[in-house]
Amino acid sequence: MEQVSAKQIPCEELPSLLQSAAAKEVAGFDSVECGNGGVISQTTQPAAAPKETEAVCSHLPAYNEPQDESKHSYSLSISLPTSPSGFHVLQAKQIGSPRTESTQLPPPAAVQLEQPKQGKFHSQPIPAVSIDGKVATMNGKVPDRRVSGGGESQQRDKRFDSFKTWSGRLERQLSNLRGKPQDLESGESSIIEAEDVPAVDRYFDALEGPELDTLRVSEVSVLPEDKKWPFLLRFPISSFGMCLGVSSQAILWKTLATSPSTSFLHVSITVNLVLWCVSLALMSTVAFVYLLKIIFYFEAVKREYYHPVRVNFFFAPWIACLFLVQGVPPTVAEKPHNALWYALMAPIFCLELKIYGQWMSGGQRRLSKVANPSNHLSIVGNFVGALVGASMGLKEGPIFFFAIGLAHYTVLFVTLYQRLPTNETLPKELHPVFFLFVAAPSVACMAWAAIKGDFDYGSRIAYFIALFLYVSLAVRINFFRGFRFSLAWWAYTFPMTGFSIATIKYSMEVTNALTQTLSVGFSVISTFTVSALFITTIIHAFVLHDLFPNDIPIAITQKRPKFSKFIAHLRSLSSDMEAAISKDSLEI
Amino acid sequence: MEGREHNLPVSSTKVYDEMPVRALSKLTGFHAGYFRISLSLCSQALLWKTLSEPETDAHALRAVVRLLPSAAYVLLWSVALAALVALCLLYALRCAFKLRHVRAEFSHHVGVNYLFAPWISWLLLLQSTPARFVRPGGGAQHALWWVFVAPILLLDVKIYGQCFTKGKKILSMVANPTSQITVIGNLVGARAAAMMGWEEMATCMFSLGMAHYLVLFVTLYQRFVGSSSIPAMLRPVFFLFIAAPSTASLAWDAITGSFGTGSKMLFFLSLFLFASLVSRPALFKRSMKRFNVVWWAYSFPLTVLAMAATEYAQAVKGGVSNALMLILSVLSVIVTIALIVFTAIKPSDLLPHGDDPFAPLPRVDVFLHVSPTAFIPFLSKCFTFFTCSSMSAMVMDICSLQYSFDLPTSFSFDSHPEKGERDRKEGLINPVRFN
Repeated sequence: MEQVSAKQIPCEELPSLLQSAAAKEVAGFDSVECGNGGVISQTTQPAAAPKETEAVCSHLPAYNEPQDESKHSYSLSISLPTSPSGFHVLQAKQIGSPRTESTQLPPPAAVQLEQPKQGKFHSQPIPAVSIDGKVATMNGKVPDRRVSGGGESQQRDKRFDSFKTWSGRLERQLSNLRGKPQDLESGESSIIEAEDVPAVDRYFDALEGPELDTLRVSEVSVLPEDKKWPFLLRFPISSFGMCLGVSSQAILWKTLATSPSTSFLHVSITVNLVLWCVSLALMSTVAFVYLLKIIFYFEAVKREYYHPVRVNFFFAPWIACLFLVQGVPPTVAEKPHNALWYALMAPIFCLELKIYGQWMSGGQRRLSKVANPSNHLSIVGNFVGALVGASMGLKEGPIFFFAIGLAHYTVLFVTLYQRLPTNETLPKELHPVFFLFVAAPSVACMAWAAIKGDFDYGSRIAYFIALFLYVSLAVRINFFRGFRFSLAWWAYTFPMTGFSIATIKYSMEVTNALTQTLSVGFSVISTFTVSALFITTIIHAFVLHDLFPNDIPIAITQKRPKFSKFIAHLRSLSSDMEAAISKDSLEI
Repeated sequence: MEGREHNLPVSSTKVYDEMPVRALSKLTGFHAGYFRISLSLCSQALLWKTLSEPETDAHALRAVVRLLPSAAYVLLWSVALAALVALCLLYALRCAFKLRHVRAEFSHHVGVNYLFAPWISWLLLLQSTPARFVRPGGGAQHALWWVFVAPILLLDVKIYGQCFTKGKKILSMVANPTSQITVIGNLVGARAAAMMGWEEMATCMFSLGMAHYLVLFVTLYQRFVGSSSIPAMLRPVFFLFIAAPSTASLAWDAITGSFGTGSKMLFFLSLFLFASLVSRPALFKRSMKRFNVVWWAYSFPLTVLAMAATEYAQAVKGGVSNALMLILSVLSVIVTIALIVFTAIKPSDLLPHGDDPFAPLPRVDVFLHVSPTAFIPFLSKCFTFFTCSSMSAMVMDICSLQYSFDLPTSFSFDSHPEKGERDRKEGLINPVRFN
């Protein structure tokens, strides 16, 4: 606070100084690892209306504001370095009144009230940080605020406020309850509105890759990319894929142990018990952590929900629970209660109403545009529910979900096979996500067998379709290369496991050496894949420490960054420079 | 065309001249979409007949239905018949005097589907005929079935054939929710045939309908970018998504003799789509601002869903299925009654206001060879219409190849041309030109 107040520069002089300083900053700044990734104002400030939104990146923000606003923000931040993010009208008033140097009090409030979307400010880090950053870099120092240890961590914290539930109010109140010291002004007077989630087109524009998880070169992230985000923010919904993978393994080993056609293997039922307990523990943990994320970072959860690929993973928890019910060891529970099935299918039904309805009549999210292999997750839920319900003895409910799943699977299958040119999310190269193609027919085959009571022609047709898809992907195994590991890969193992279980059921119906070999072979493959994935996960978690990288896909900006081409050019320049330097060093 | 009316014999007084002129001008706006009314009423009659069947077990609803004297049911049937006959007559008049408008309607991607509606209504009415009028299984019933199904088959050949052969009318561009009416036509014909005992004919029409339903379902769900979207006023036709699987369920039930797994799955799909649409009231908000004939599109799908629920409750006895049947039947009756009341209160909103939604643009009139149909005796036009409307439609289509119709697809089926204009301006409509 002391150093800041000492830098009390007349407001009129500031803009030009800022401009010159910032101009120097921009050129070489993207390679500088600043301490807190503070935001620096951009040089050119077209006298555009404040309504123009801008993107804010961690290093190179395009922060368009009229001159008077920067003045106001400057005065605001000087008065309160630890103020929370965004502009708070009441706060401005509170700050302004006791301070004599900030004379522009009503205009900031008025100007802020004029802002059509408060969200635009929430996508930016605190002006306090930025202004301090500006101030500090004007002095040539790396901005590193040593106001207090807690203040510094609070500073870092508040950059993520826009993603928190009610933008951090809940957390502040909880901290208050816990007795941590808090600034008085940063209390209940905040009037932060929820930030608008980017439209679906923004996700397509800003992201690329088969899982839409890589930021394009010309885009910037709303949150600092160099800093490690809070753990909850880094915990994606695709972590539930782990539960899917492990619980489907539990079902596989239960089937191996109990089915007559594989009894020659003499598999013990204990394996199923162990796997089931592990998957139950894993499911509880993941669910608990994600629940914390919903409580504390609801905005981030909303952004995940609007992501065209991640939305399908919202089915994963319920499917994993259904797998748990299906794979329950006989020693734990012989026959689960029917109410459990209804309780698990209700959220699936509601999610389906939303998502399929969007396909049919939604504005932007039409299927020809958003179809991608991960949509299979939304379809498989129907078949899994039908399978589990029929195994429990229910009659009409399983047929209901089977019918819905079949109808929409037909639509999705045709759409994905067409690879429509308007489809932006289809990966151009092979990727493990393609294994989801195998999931729906395998589970449909088992569900139909359970509904009908025996493995009749309908099930066989579905099984052979699944077999064909599996083989056509397996022979292209060479092309599954060069992908960054992500937790979502766990979700792609359950189709293999599901197919193995379907093969075992088929071999129960048609028992001969070939089918038995096939069932053993596919089971071995799926177990091996899951083990390999498990080891990879352990390595990434404990050795490489990057199991949960910064979740960039949810931190895209509302609008395209103003200087996107400039940023892309700079990034390519910097990467070229790095390459040149490394080459030079090699030569030397 | 307006000028032609004035060239009537000079012996008529001016006042006498004005009335037919005004009446005939209304025919311009009387498009086939008005047959929604007959669809709703005829399907209601069929629903009541299904509800009063003795196979359904004792239940509150059935008790209520049994209480009603059979005269009430006959009354309902007669009202439906009268409405259908009136609508057919009006449309025949339109064919006689406004032939080029009928031609324009035939070329329109939404209007052409409603040309199935009269035949579907006649088939539904045939199925719901009380036994005293038409003996079930008799020659008259068979003959009438052929009379009503033949146009459907001919329209099928024309419309489905051009889907995959003709270059301009590509399905991915033309498909819209009203295209499901073509599928419903086939399925209703299949059910009628199965009820009369003609298994092969029923299976033939069923497979025809289902094959095209599969293609249409996928296409409609994909909503290919660039396909013509329907204006906001036509959103109630989304309820046709419910009607198609329900009709298929009923048809399969009639063909196989029992409500098996196939019929159940189709019924459940229809139920899911119903839940999906009902949970999106915002979708229909724009079209509900003012009463117009499109509101009648709500009634028919709900009625067939209720019929399917009735058959389901007969097959699967239980509290849930009975409750479902009760709720859906009551809903369909309430909606139909509400629509009748609305029509009675505000008949002017329903009437066409003279502007043809399929009207060709003025400049086309220069090239259009005005047909001399106004001078052909009215009876010959009736004959053409009643025997084979689709044959004449094909003839018309061949003739239309000589003309270049520049049709705005941005019609709004409502009484206000300004609204259509507003819809157009708001970009709700993709003007796709069909030549």
